[in-house]
Amino acid sequence: MLLSREVLDRQLIDRRGHKMGRVDGIVLELRPGAPPRVAFLECGGRSPWRRLGRRLYGWADAVQKLLPGRDVPTRIPWPAVLSMGVDIEVSLDATRTPEMALELWLREHVIQHLPWA
Amino acid sequence: MKISQLSLGVVTGIGGFLEAGSIATSAQAGAVFRYQLIWAVVLATAGLVLLTEMSGRLAAVSKRALTGAIRERFGFPYFMIVLVVGLVLSFLVLATEIGAVATALQMASGISYRWWALPIALVGWLLLWRGTFSVVENSSAMLGLISMAFAVGAVMMHPHWGEVASGMIPTLPTHDRANYWFTAVSIVGASISPYLYFVYSSGAIEEKWDESYLSGNRITAVFGNGMGGLLSIAVLVLAGLVFEPRGIKVEHYQQIAATLTPSMGHWGFIIFVATLAITAFGATVEVMLAAAYMTAQGFGWEWAEDARPREHARYSLVYTVLVLLAAVPLVIGIDPFKVTNFSMAISAASLPVSVLPLLVLMNDHELMGDHRNGWLSNAVLVLFGVLSVVLLLVAIPLQIMGGGG
Repeated sequence: MLLSREVLDRQLIDRRGHKMGRVDGIVLELRPGAPPRVAFLECGGRSPWRRLGRRLYGWADAVQKLLPGRDVPTRIPWPAVLSMGVDIEVSLDATRTPEMALELWLREHVIQHLPWA
Repeated sequence: MKISQLSLGVVTGIGGFLEAGSIATSAQAGAVFRYQLIWAVVLATAGLVLLTEMSGRLAAVSKRALTGAIRERFGFPYFMIVLVVGLVLSFLVLATEIGAVATALQMASGISYRWWALPIALVGWLLLWRGTFSVVENSSAMLGLISMAFAVGAVMMHPHWGEVASGMIPTLPTHDRANYWFTAVSIVGASISPYLYFVYSSGAIEEKWDESYLSGNRITAVFGNGMGGLLSIAVLVLAGLVFEPRGIKVEHYQQIAATLTPSMGHWGFIIFVATLAITAFGATVEVMLAAAYMTAQGFGWEWAEDARPREHARYSLVYTVLVLLAAVPLVIGIDPFKVTNFSMAISAASLPVSVLPLLVLMNDHELMGDHRNGWLSNAVLVLFGVLSVVLLLVAIPLQIMGGGG
């Protein structure tokens, strides 16, 4: 399997069939005397911005700090991956992960105060 | 082939192709160069047919909308370039379309466009917010048929058809050189608005296209855009007949009403106002949708045209903020026609950002299998890409040196 081609940047689907971001990073576990293996998939938070280079990451990081709870990436343990096709299905509930923190915060503090939301 | 699929094509064709930008650029081209720039409309239409067909095929075969496919193939940093360029362009095109609707309302009411900009933005916003995009989509397709009036008007004016046909062959300008190339580029930018094929590929995903849709996709791409292209040519021909002999340059939307009045009298004025308002409003809502789709798909958020805002907070916020920002330049009094010219040039300049990745995606064996591009579509697309880059490299320095030509 080519991680960069078949896993990175793929759409994540949670166990209720909702879209929960894309694979923004892959955390490998290095093991002495054995090939490295995938420990987590990361999505959201500062994870994707790290790929833009040091300076842009710094700016993105500063912006993220203003948004409550948003600088923590969601970590998806490899065994939680259920299937991989066009999308990657995982056994988590998106609303219980930091991935949805900004969405829920915006819903509560901004969108709900507008008419007909 | 399904009716829904046909309607998607018709929207992309008429409600999408002919909007403020193409009406303005075609009228300007006809006014200064008579029929000489028809080739630019033909070239741009052919380019849009190819891009539409390919993004529909990409969605049907790979089950991915264009933005998602770009992110997966080229990674997050390149996606961010596409997104930033896309959002800036959406802002400019939104300002263009809102400005055109506002100008049409000014023509109808006598009240300045500056007062109309914000109400138009709010009505467009409300339609998406309340999840009624499909209503907008269908009604702008039906009402957009009023733009056929340009074709009727052109026929009624009895142009010399041989002369019109000879405009399809590119020739070098004899006067206003800088303006000639710049107008050609603007026509390309106005016809090939990336939002068209981004929305098209998203619609294909929402309607769950599979490979059985491919022939329908080909037909709608050719038919819808071809119709739009013909209407653009009609505007250009009308401007060539009405303005060029009198040496009138087109610098306001108001002037363009004169393309229909010789053949239709006061009704021509009314039809022009209605056409400008309807097509530009349809485009306004579609650009908002495209920007929100693009952002949501790239980041992997939920997206859907009939989304409830409370369940799609980030997605809804994207088009809300964007449409309000786009009304600002008009409220403070920036001329809608100047916004149009500027936006169309930027639109053309931004084309490589989405066209080049599409070319790579369409040749990806893993993604497209047996439905990847043949050598002919590749050759034509590359030729088109090279031509647009050359046009751009020629036009922009000339425009700067010529100070507006």
